[in-house]
Amino acid sequence: MSHLIPLTAVYRLSDKWGVMMNTRKAMADSAANVPAGPSLLREKGIIKRFTDRYSESRGKAIIYSSAFLMIIAVVAITLFLTLQGLRSFVIDHLNIWNFLTGTEWYPDRASNPQFGAFPFIFGSVAVTLLAALLATPIAIGTAIFMAELANKWGQRIMQPVIEILVGIPSVVYGLIGLSVFVPLMRAHFGGSGFNLLAGALVVGIMILPTVASIAADSIRAVPDKLREASYAIGGTKWQTIWKVVIPAAGSSLMTAIVLGMSRAFGEALAVQMVIGNARNLPHSIFDPSATLTTIITLSMGNTTTGSVLNDALWSLGLILLAISYIFILIIRYLSRKRVV
Amino acid sequence: MMIQLNTKMENFMNGQTDETPIQIQVNHVNIYYGSNHAVKDVNMPIHRNSITALIGPSGCGKSTFIRSINRMNDLIPSARCEGEINYRDYNILNKKIDVVQLRKEIGMVFQQPNPFPKSISENIQLPLKFAGVHNKRLLNETTEDSLKQVALWDEVKDRLDHSATGLSGGQQQRLCIARALALKPSVLLLDEPTSALDPVSTSKIEEQLLELKKKYTIVIVTHNMQQAARIADYTAFFYQGELVEFGHTKDLFTHPVKKATADYISGRFG
Repeated sequence: MSHLIPLTAVYRLSDKWGVMMNTRKAMADSAANVPAGPSLLREKGIIKRFTDRYSESRGKAIIYSSAFLMIIAVVAITLFLTLQGLRSFVIDHLNIWNFLTGTEWYPDRASNPQFGAFPFIFGSVAVTLLAALLATPIAIGTAIFMAELANKWGQRIMQPVIEILVGIPSVVYGLIGLSVFVPLMRAHFGGSGFNLLAGALVVGIMILPTVASIAADSIRAVPDKLREASYAIGGTKWQTIWKVVIPAAGSSLMTAIVLGMSRAFGEALAVQMVIGNARNLPHSIFDPSATLTTIITLSMGNTTTGSVLNDALWSLGLILLAISYIFILIIRYLSRKRVV
Repeated sequence: MMIQLNTKMENFMNGQTDETPIQIQVNHVNIYYGSNHAVKDVNMPIHRNSITALIGPSGCGKSTFIRSINRMNDLIPSARCEGEINYRDYNILNKKIDVVQLRKEIGMVFQQPNPFPKSISENIQLPLKFAGVHNKRLLNETTEDSLKQVALWDEVKDRLDHSATGLSGGQQQRLCIARALALKPSVLLLDEPTSALDPVSTSKIEEQLLELKKKYTIVIVTHNMQQAARIADYTAFFYQGELVEFGHTKDLFTHPVKKATADYISGRFG
């Protein structure tokens, strides 16, 4: 203790520093007085070494195998679909170019059946792009509202609303489309009311919550120091959102949109209920049409394994998979470009 | 241990001799975060064309105080400011003040360099565009002018269209100062601008600040007492939310009136 006395003499401190002094003293005390207890450090015994390694490796095995299972699933699906999808070209000798670009789909005609899948590829792409076009402005607006404007309120009310929208089964969206959009189309644009636009509207509403919640997350991920910087140079709230936050979130917003598009691309049931399922190439957005997914779900049950139509439908599935891969590649590319 | 004062003695003398008029007068400012009383009854002048340093240990309220001068505390919902900060016949803390215009006249630079993830020239031009300036020639002139004021022009003039995030930390911070200068503010607030930087970048920025004070009024928060001693004309020592002592830097460092100031600047705590 003796060494503490000059230390105290140095710190002739007023009452204000008293607390600080006491902690310093306590620290000095503990360092000086607490005897070193026996260390718990030991060498491991043989049995402990064995059980340790066993439990470690068991845990590892579980984690590794679950991760491996995922990879196997992806590879297996891709392989299976590729093998099945190529059957129509290899075994049934359909021309791959005619298949992709042909506009006539008469697979069950007795004489000269035609397998032109272009109307469905076009339908899928058109529905996806139209849905993205309709959903993106609303979704981004919602995201800005949630993340920037109504922060507390937005969290408490918008988040559950979005979750409920995500959770609604697609058949319900289809029913709503069937009972709201289709009659509306029929009344205003003529025809049956089942058309491309109705499909795009239904899918657009379906992807709205997905895009909005991912976009809101990416806006929230923009560091606050950028907002602070913008306000500090005399930016208004709107200027800050428009000129700083949105550009900074840029590529992740694109990711949100592309993810929404890939969901729109894969949607079958709701689209099938409102799009009209025509095998012809639509001439306008008010014409009925079909998509890759709807034609597969509609026809697959009526075919026998190994028939040409069955193989052709597998080929359509392969095209779907390929385009989904392209979407994922785009997402990966966009997220790699991200700077902040 | 006494602090070394020999580095820029002449600046000291300059600050000492010619007293500049008061730009901002702070009267009875109290700032609360919820129930936490962060800044307690602060009164001090801020002189024009001089550097005023705010020093003190962490959590003493100096950052909170400097952020109230251009109302950045408005962004924190729980923060509440009382009192008067008088600037050109207006009380800055008045709720009716146009905060956006205020921040155009009183610029701020933060501890972490925060350039926008845009090109170097866009970073400088954004405040002008916010203010409604779209004249190409004026934008380019201001870019060059602002970058020259922080001695960054020669380093980046060939890559104005490159991303600002590719610059070094010190360059980024000087870019942020240039960005704050683009609107030609009258007051420049710096919240620990060099604490994230290396010594070489720090001394570059200090040199620039000594140049800039000829045109601007500068308030700087710093943890580094040597920095305050080197560049500041006036120094304010904050402790536990109170302004303990304010005076000419030389007086404050050589003949502190209060015991707490003496203890802090001699490194006994903090």
